[in-house]
Amino acid sequence: MDLALKDIRRHLGKFIATIAGVAMLLAIVLVMNGIYQGNIADGIWLIENTATDLWVVERGRGGPFNESSRMPLDSYKSVAATPGVAKASPLVFYSAQRDISGVSQQFTIIGYDVFGGLGGPGRIVLGRAIEAPHYELVADRKLGLDLGDKVTFGTHEYTVVGVTRGAVDSGGNPLIYLSLPDAQEVQFQQDNRALVASRAASLKRLERAGYSTEQANRLLPLLSSTSDTVNAVLVKLAPGAEGAQVVRHIGDWLYFNVYTTDEERNLMLEGKLSKMSAVLGLFRALLILVSIVIIALIIYVLTIEKIRSIATLKLIGAPNWVIVRLIMEQSLALTLASFAVAYGLRELIVPGFPRTLTFLAGETAATFAVMLAGGVLASLMAIWHALRTPPQLALGG
Amino acid sequence: MPVLEVDNVSMTFGQGELAVQALKPATFSVEGGELAALLGPSGSGKSTLLLAISLILEPTTGRIALNGREVYNNGPTGIDVRAYRRQNIGFIFQQHNLIPFLTAAENVALVMQLNGAGRRDAAKHARELLGYLEIAHRADWLPANLSGGERQRVAIGRALANEPRLVLADEPTAALDTERGTKVMGLLRKIARERQSAVITVTHDHRMIEGFDTVYHLDDGKLTETTRAVVAH
Repeated sequence: MDLALKDIRRHLGKFIATIAGVAMLLAIVLVMNGIYQGNIADGIWLIENTATDLWVVERGRGGPFNESSRMPLDSYKSVAATPGVAKASPLVFYSAQRDISGVSQQFTIIGYDVFGGLGGPGRIVLGRAIEAPHYELVADRKLGLDLGDKVTFGTHEYTVVGVTRGAVDSGGNPLIYLSLPDAQEVQFQQDNRALVASRAASLKRLERAGYSTEQANRLLPLLSSTSDTVNAVLVKLAPGAEGAQVVRHIGDWLYFNVYTTDEERNLMLEGKLSKMSAVLGLFRALLILVSIVIIALIIYVLTIEKIRSIATLKLIGAPNWVIVRLIMEQSLALTLASFAVAYGLRELIVPGFPRTLTFLAGETAATFAVMLAGGVLASLMAIWHALRTPPQLALGG
Repeated sequence: MPVLEVDNVSMTFGQGELAVQALKPATFSVEGGELAALLGPSGSGKSTLLLAISLILEPTTGRIALNGREVYNNGPTGIDVRAYRRQNIGFIFQQHNLIPFLTAAENVALVMQLNGAGRRDAAKHARELLGYLEIAHRADWLPANLSGGERQRVAIGRALANEPRLVLADEPTAALDTERGTKVMGLLRKIARERQSAVITVTHDHRMIEGFDTVYHLDDGKLTETTRAVVAH
């Protein structure tokens, strides 16, 4: 007679409610796994999906993503002239928060050389790449834009010509690709009143320094900020070129920092992502621990509730395996059913989740194994308690 | 040959100065078909004697034999104690102690299955046994839905499920009113007579003394007096 199943059948409502509770907790653990891996995937997405061999950035800077880097626009020409370089392209990128479709949205703008340059969108799922020098853009579908939609940045209107999927920055924000001059204009464009105020302030400073108004007006253009800067130069090596030699050459002669894609990835993992990964990892570990403790407590309580029945079983001579089977089966049923429901819940949560969730089969299997081991361990504690229960407990009034 | 022979069985809890002799050396025997009572006030050692007979608690000294087979002689004789209880003894408790998540029939069938019966055979015989106890109509009911008297009859059914030569009942009428208690006692008498089982009942309920074949009086752990009725088995 399968006592565990009989007990479950008689207390089905209670068992289902317990499974639902544990499953919700396990679903959070599984989603946390997804957030953890999604955070890493987002963080290195741009690095992994930019077809480049080297990242050239401002001297002494830790790559374009972990630290700001500004280089003269023309620096890409010097890099292109380095022996072993097949192609060098300028790249700008910056975070922005603007109204898109009437909603304030945060995103990252990538400006690249649209005429054969490096750093363009790699995963266009709808439409095409930018082909015109101005007023076209490629946006990620997270922004809710469709082909042909118009987006206004500053005084210009940009048309969506392509849509990507999963193109995000290290913070999980969607990317918008623009041509390099458009991206620079959007970044540095000021409204007219701000420009007038800035010019007046500069004029006043020059006059205070002893320049005449005429001299100050002549000097003014030299003080205005320039938009002719880029954040990085991407490099494609010529076939057969020695990467290390090119890196050394650019570093020594052009006085820039150069990172390979692997180094750039490591910079990201050890820099910007490390703290967040540590926090998420800690939360994940705590959640797993809490889940195991809760499963253990539930199994223990389920056993304690039956302790008088267990004493009766011992008193009427039931062998220990009958009691062990009763507890172990319920423990396994609870753990397996909860995990299955949690898995289903996870699948329901994924499509509407605001951040990228990345699930690794091995990690899900490992979580399952840890939960199962926790369930078995908990049932061993309950079994230990049950087997120590004296049969005469059944005689108590 | 008596079904049960108890020879100088005693029970002491603790050691040295803290030792308490809960049961002083007791000697008696019970025949098949005999309905015996262990009568005495609370704390007199009745339940302790029952626990010693069933080897739930190991006696300190003495000898116990069941069906002529020695199961204890100043120490275990190497038998499997659980199997000894499972195969030879039927238990009836004051609070029925039915497994709450099993139906009446399942509670009875469980003991049969623990003794090796197949699922179908056990289910069939459990219903027959409940019929014998006139409670077949409640076979599929859970204990929670049965009255006190019905639960006790199911508990008796469970005690008989392994066709034991010895039935030990610990205050089976204590939780019942006089009418239901009398019915249960009648049932125990019927079992003793018809199945030739030795039935030992612990009680301090003087209402139920009539009808016992033998009454063993216990006082402060000592078997003080034996009253025998003249009955033709």
